[in-house]
Amino acid sequence: MDVLATRAVTRRYGATLAVDAVSTCFESGRLHAVIGENGAGKSTLLKLACGLVAPDAGSVAIDGQPLSPHTPRAAIARGIGMVQQHFALVEAMTVLENVMLGAEPLRGGLLDEAEARRRLAEVTRELGVTLDPAARVRELGIGDRQRLEIARVVYKGARVVVLDEPTAVLVPREADALYEMLARLVAAGRTVIVVTHKLDEVVAHAQTVRVMRHGQLVLSRDVDHDDAERELRALAAAVMGEDAPAQPAAPPRACGTVVLDLDDVRLGRALRGLTLKVHAGEIVGVAGVEGNGQRELTRLIAGLEHADSGRVDVAAASVVHEDRHQEGLVLDAPVADNLVLGEHAALSRFGVLDASALRATAHARLTLGAVEPGDPSLLARGLSGGNQQKVVVARALARTGDRAKLLVAAHPTRGVDIGAARLIHERIRAAASRGVGVLVISSDLHELRALSDRIAVMVRGRIAQQVDPGATNERLGELMLGEEGAA
Amino acid sequence: MKREHEAEALSVVTGLAAGWLAFAVIVWLHGESPREMAGLLVGGTWGTAYGAGQVIFKATPILFCGIAVHIGLRAGLFNIGAEGQMTIASLVIAAVGASLGASTPALLAVPLMLGCAAIAGALWAAVPALLRAKLGAHEVISTIMTNRIADALVGVALGLGLAEKGTVRSADIAKGARLPRLEAFLPSLRGSAANTSVFVALVVLLLATVLWPRSRAGREQWLVGLNPVACAAEKISVPRRLAEALIVSGAVAGLASAATVMGYKGYYEGGLGAGAGFTGLAVALLGRGRTSGLILAALLFGTLDQGGLALNAHIPRESMQVVQAVVIVAVALGDARVRAFMARMPRPAAAAKAQP
Repeated sequence: MDVLATRAVTRRYGATLAVDAVSTCFESGRLHAVIGENGAGKSTLLKLACGLVAPDAGSVAIDGQPLSPHTPRAAIARGIGMVQQHFALVEAMTVLENVMLGAEPLRGGLLDEAEARRRLAEVTRELGVTLDPAARVRELGIGDRQRLEIARVVYKGARVVVLDEPTAVLVPREADALYEMLARLVAAGRTVIVVTHKLDEVVAHAQTVRVMRHGQLVLSRDVDHDDAERELRALAAAVMGEDAPAQPAAPPRACGTVVLDLDDVRLGRALRGLTLKVHAGEIVGVAGVEGNGQRELTRLIAGLEHADSGRVDVAAASVVHEDRHQEGLVLDAPVADNLVLGEHAALSRFGVLDASALRATAHARLTLGAVEPGDPSLLARGLSGGNQQKVVVARALARTGDRAKLLVAAHPTRGVDIGAARLIHERIRAAASRGVGVLVISSDLHELRALSDRIAVMVRGRIAQQVDPGATNERLGELMLGEEGAA
Repeated sequence: MKREHEAEALSVVTGLAAGWLAFAVIVWLHGESPREMAGLLVGGTWGTAYGAGQVIFKATPILFCGIAVHIGLRAGLFNIGAEGQMTIASLVIAAVGASLGASTPALLAVPLMLGCAAIAGALWAAVPALLRAKLGAHEVISTIMTNRIADALVGVALGLGLAEKGTVRSADIAKGARLPRLEAFLPSLRGSAANTSVFVALVVLLLATVLWPRSRAGREQWLVGLNPVACAAEKISVPRRLAEALIVSGAVAGLASAATVMGYKGYYEGGLGAGAGFTGLAVALLGRGRTSGLILAALLFGTLDQGGLALNAHIPRESMQVVQAVVIVAVALGDARVRAFMARMPRPAAAAKAQP
């Protein structure tokens, strides 16, 4: 039985055909994966299916009946709910208030909190998670926020739960827990659709896979669980449209002057005696469960926060911030302005912008960063998540060298596809070989191991230990959780 | 992009439709025919050269203030203080103009007066601007308060000697400091108070909509208005850009006094030009930051102002203020910027709950 189907849906963004006449149907009671590179159209396809984006042509059918009107409200009323890549939670409100938002049960015109609490308990039981209804969202970690988003969608009666890049923000252990939860949803008769970049997840957990490339559906079949290695290679080839080239080995680097020197730095409750050094030409990885002070570390180096105590010695730094929608981009401004954000002064004469210089700089950075589409006049909002990330990284990389001796990259490849991630890694290595000191903060251990000369494990606002990048996942995982277990 | 434009157009059309509906209902309640009254309204404004001139005269200070508010809105600021900035500038140039020698040439006096008006408006706006930059005080609150202070200062200044003995108006400004009426060039406008300050307004409009977005300061103000966090992260000084935007906005609001003191009366009296600053808010929202949009919006409100006089024999002219208010509310509700602004305002209930 097909619970959700698209019929030749098409959607354009400017000159780009994001989704090109895609017809597919999702059978109920299974876990489906949709994969593809950035800008391949996979997020747009699912947004179309959930009523978040209206199609230019074609239609969406739920249980065989067309979705009309084409709105998220109509879709959720018919049991289709989406968990977006960027969570839409109200920080100041409690878990229960967030779940009730927009679907408040009433009794005699008043909010019936008891009823809401009872229904939330039912949902969390099905999901097999614990969520304190009275906890405020701002106190929750990223994993709990995601569980809350999923609980909210199920609470509103979603029979089909769509998740956009759910594991992009999670450490491996949390990702496994997420898929366990999704499996319980499927066991309870619901349908789950996951949009992801991570092929190993697809092979390990999904029952069907669909591959998008350039807006078209190029592959749609059941996942072959017999030979995981062969299946991985087959999917990678389908995603890239070619055989994946081998990852180049990282050349050894010499260490130079110190470009970042933090000594016993304290900042609120986030940083508690952090000591860390980065030398010119060196790449230092910071591993850790999110919410252990990484965000504050980035903001401290960027000059957005000031330490309460301790020594902070920072060379001029170029920073890729953790949240591209908040600190990274001005979404409603053109890509060109975003690429030169903060450099408008250097691109002006007598206070008037030099439009041609601005365009030329933007163009050069677009090309260097392989941003698609390469049109600097588009609004940043119109780009796919991965391409937005490429814009932020391209800007930061362009500033390294003479102006910035230190590059801080928080999750530099979050939400970015394999090909583009490889390109970003290459550029970061190239910057280091030019003598730039690099601090990479990531929840992707694979990325840290591929880039770093050494890995500093961050736990509760301190560097717990520094290890060789050859350390195993298990060893790093232990260290990342170590002090939490002891406390 | 396209969808946004459609939404914009829709909110403007809704606003105008709501205005027409309000007009029809008011007229009908007075026992008159809406169609007939609409005819009278158009006839009394655009039907004659004099009427058209009066519309332009009424629209000029409104246009200045609309541009002023627009400059603030680009940076995400609501300059409610255009009214007060205009008032202070009026007082200042009334004093400056009266102290100029009778034989001062226009070539010297007019630029001097315009400069003083802009500086006075900018300085008055600098108070809320600095409060915002240094202390984070919200400009909506502080500009409303500076409006009240400006109002009070009018009485003080007139009482302290700005007013001529035994009157409530200032002395006449020098002849060279006056902006000539349009009837001097177009005899058919005879009797209308339309004056050459409208050309100053149009020049300022072009500077604001064409040149300003291409300037470094103007572009950065716009980016700050869209996402201050991202701008701060890339070392753009957000408080400074916000303060600048409010000050430039105040300078343009100050220039509105050119339309009243220099173009119309030739002196200042309490209440001269009052209301233009608030109508300017509506013009900026309705005009959507476009050159043509701001002109059309100013003309619309000018027409309603003047049209109220034309209908006064049948229905009270205040009815037109009701129509204006309905247009403002309808347009504002459809405006994404206003909605975003209201969403940022703390709700009393949520704020109370947030207390531990």
